[in-house]
Amino acid sequence: MNCGRVRSLFGAYWDDEITQAEREWMDAHFASCTACRERYDEYARTLELVGSLPREEASAGFVERVVARAHRAAEAPDRLPSAQPGWVPVAAGAALAVLAFAAVLPWLKPSDRGRIATRAATTVSVPTAALEPASPVPSRRAPAKSGATQISDEIFDHTEDVEFILDPVAPHRARARQAPPAAAVQGERAVITF
Amino acid sequence: MAPDREPGLPSVVSLSDEDLMARVAEDDERAFPELVRRFQGRVTNLVSRILNDRECADDLAQEVFVRVFVHRRNYRRGSKFSTWLFTIAANLAKNEIRRRVRKRNWFSLDALQELVNDSAIQLADPTEGRESRMEREQLRDTVGRAIAAVPEKYRLSLVLRDIEGLSYEEIAQVLGIPGGTVRSRINRARGMLKRKLQPLLRREGTS
Repeated sequence: MNCGRVRSLFGAYWDDEITQAEREWMDAHFASCTACRERYDEYARTLELVGSLPREEASAGFVERVVARAHRAAEAPDRLPSAQPGWVPVAAGAALAVLAFAAVLPWLKPSDRGRIATRAATTVSVPTAALEPASPVPSRRAPAKSGATQISDEIFDHTEDVEFILDPVAPHRARARQAPPAAAVQGERAVITF
Repeated sequence: MAPDREPGLPSVVSLSDEDLMARVAEDDERAFPELVRRFQGRVTNLVSRILNDRECADDLAQEVFVRVFVHRRNYRRGSKFSTWLFTIAANLAKNEIRRRVRKRNWFSLDALQELVNDSAIQLADPTEGRESRMEREQLRDTVGRAIAAVPEKYRLSLVLRDIEGLSYEEIAQVLGIPGGTVRSRINRARGMLKRKLQPLLRREGTS
């Protein structure tokens, strides 16, 4: 029997889970192999040390405390201390936040598109020079040479718009007075078309 | 607490563990305290050796019995009570170990090495007259720490076998693993423990 085989049976030898024949073989090996004998001695002394540890006794009043605690827990089993690790609520909160964001995202996107569309409607393509102080009132018909730029509404002349709001008919009256009278037009009546 | 013997009722003290647990499940108020009284030492010792923490062990041992009481109707009649009890104890101890590992509040192997190196403690060897040089408490503390430094899955098997004296078959039931796995885990655990305690096992002429 070689040393490896003997050493693999240390546990069974200690637990007395080997056959009588195996025990005799091992005893014979120990008698002739000092290394295995010493190794087994260390193995056995380790387990003796473990087995010699004093038994811990329950503290005084253990039974009474347990009975009281058990009855409290039985009345409210949901209040039993949870083995739930501390990171679970944090992870659950983060997961909820992600889900909430994912749920809201489809609603946010159209809104963003709408906002972008609104901005596009209020932008006018103008030459960059039109925004410079040297030309405070640029031509509205100037060709766009660069990308769309949002410009202030102040640069437009709204005089006529204001007049129209106050008296929608007045501008047309003025134009009608300036223009040569059309033969087909009679009196003060005018037709306003938009 | 209700007295053990009431007129017309048999004593619960003479009942087997399994019959006693059956009484607990039937809400016999005398049964549960008796059950706790019988097993309080074993459960406290078991969790104390697994955790190597006496104070925490007391609280955890209480929790084991609380679980037994709360889940008393889940106990299957006919099955061995101590196996069920140790299963609960092992699971709670396992949870506690994992909680501690998460909190990084666990025993440091370096601390053990330091203790072993710095101290002059050696295994008692009456033939060589070393026992007088050894502080018994310190030795026990070191052995307890060495056990606690064995990885959890091996440690549970080791404590159930070499401290609680359970059979391999019972350990397999408690841990829910095959008997062969129990054997290999115990062998590995013993090997690890032997290596950890090697400095204490030195004999004259080999150190």
